[in-house]
Amino acid sequence: MTFDIAFAISQFPYLLQAAGTTIVIAISSIILGSLGGTFLAIARETKPQWCGRPIALYVSFIRGTPLFIQILLVYLSIPKFGADIPKIIVGIIALSLNAAAYVAEIVRGGLSALQPGQIDAARAAGMPVSLIWMHIKLPQTFALILPPLTIQFISILKGSSLLSVIGVVELTRLSQTIISGSFRPVEIWIATGSIYFILCFTLGAFASHLERYASRFRR
Amino acid sequence: MRYDLSVLAPFYLVFLGGLINTLLYSAVSIVLALIVGFSAALGKSSNSILLRSIATIYVEIFRNTPFLVQVFVFYYVLPQFELALPVALAGILALSLFTGAYMCESIRGAVDAVPKGQVDAARASGMSHLRCLYRVVAPQMIRYLLPPLTNNMIGAVKDSAILSIITVPELTMATQIAVGETFGAMEAFTVSAILYWLVCGAIELGMQRLQRASYHHRLYPV
Repeated sequence: MTFDIAFAISQFPYLLQAAGTTIVIAISSIILGSLGGTFLAIARETKPQWCGRPIALYVSFIRGTPLFIQILLVYLSIPKFGADIPKIIVGIIALSLNAAAYVAEIVRGGLSALQPGQIDAARAAGMPVSLIWMHIKLPQTFALILPPLTIQFISILKGSSLLSVIGVVELTRLSQTIISGSFRPVEIWIATGSIYFILCFTLGAFASHLERYASRFRR
Repeated sequence: MRYDLSVLAPFYLVFLGGLINTLLYSAVSIVLALIVGFSAALGKSSNSILLRSIATIYVEIFRNTPFLVQVFVFYYVLPQFELALPVALAGILALSLFTGAYMCESIRGAVDAVPKGQVDAARASGMSHLRCLYRVVAPQMIRYLLPPLTNNMIGAVKDSAILSIITVPELTMATQIAVGETFGAMEAFTVSAILYWLVCGAIELGMQRLQRASYHHRLYPV
């Protein structure tokens, strides 16, 4: 067995291009998932009782089943509605649906850690509910939940590798394609693994930078 | 749009077999991951810079790369180094090491949650480092450890689904076999999703019981 570094280098531009797709998928899913998750958490907190049950069931289903199966279910069910959607969009939808449930749970945890006195004070001062959310609850919550949120974002980035199964040409899928044409799994998987590592590590480093900035919003 | 669960009825044994295998592989991996996680946590808190860096590198690599890529490395790259493992073994090994890295962080978090003064007091009263870990830290960290550990265990069960990609015969693989025979992909994956959901629900309930028990009783004689 030989390790051909020249081969790895020759394929690196293609891998980087596919890593771009991975980044696009991850960032879209992170944004959509965060928005959806925050919305779910707010809905669960403010709306009447009937809203809570379905959301709790949704969160429990997503957290209790493998992402792999969720991706397959979304992939199989979208054509049944007669829609012709590109695979990458299907993948982003699946990842966002998954992320929303986890983010909702994290936001809920953060909300329950806020000091109730602050909200009582805001209410007593006559602040409308929407302003309480915008200025008191959400900023503090996000400052508080940044570490678990980062772990979640990294797992979305890693989860995007599963989209290779439904044929989205991202980093993992391209690696498989290159390997099936060249029979050089060692070089390619090491290169691919390193790219994922750098992406995840950067995301984590960015988040801890953000955390230092966000700590000023705490209490 | 056709949706007919009854086409799957003849395949209940396939699902059952897959479910049993999933439980088996997850259970073995969880036990191995606990051992790996504790070792890595000890390594990370050790005084030796060598042990500390090995543990840190292990945890960072396994937490920052996708499990799918790790599985491919264990299944396709190791044979290139004359280390061909059977699929099930490669799968269990990958799952254990992946889950172990997460468990290491859970364990470290739980240890950090035990008030520092307790350790200082134990050490000051002449307990050895190991005795202090066993008598003072371990009994108190259990209650902080159980919730993240539950997540890690559920994660292991869910991630075992990915092993079907290298043809480990677990629940997702069994589902794909049923899909191949019946073409009822939607139905089959709904069934397996519900089975996974039940398993994860059961783990969560069981661990909640354990958590409550850990509050009411001392798990260790002190």
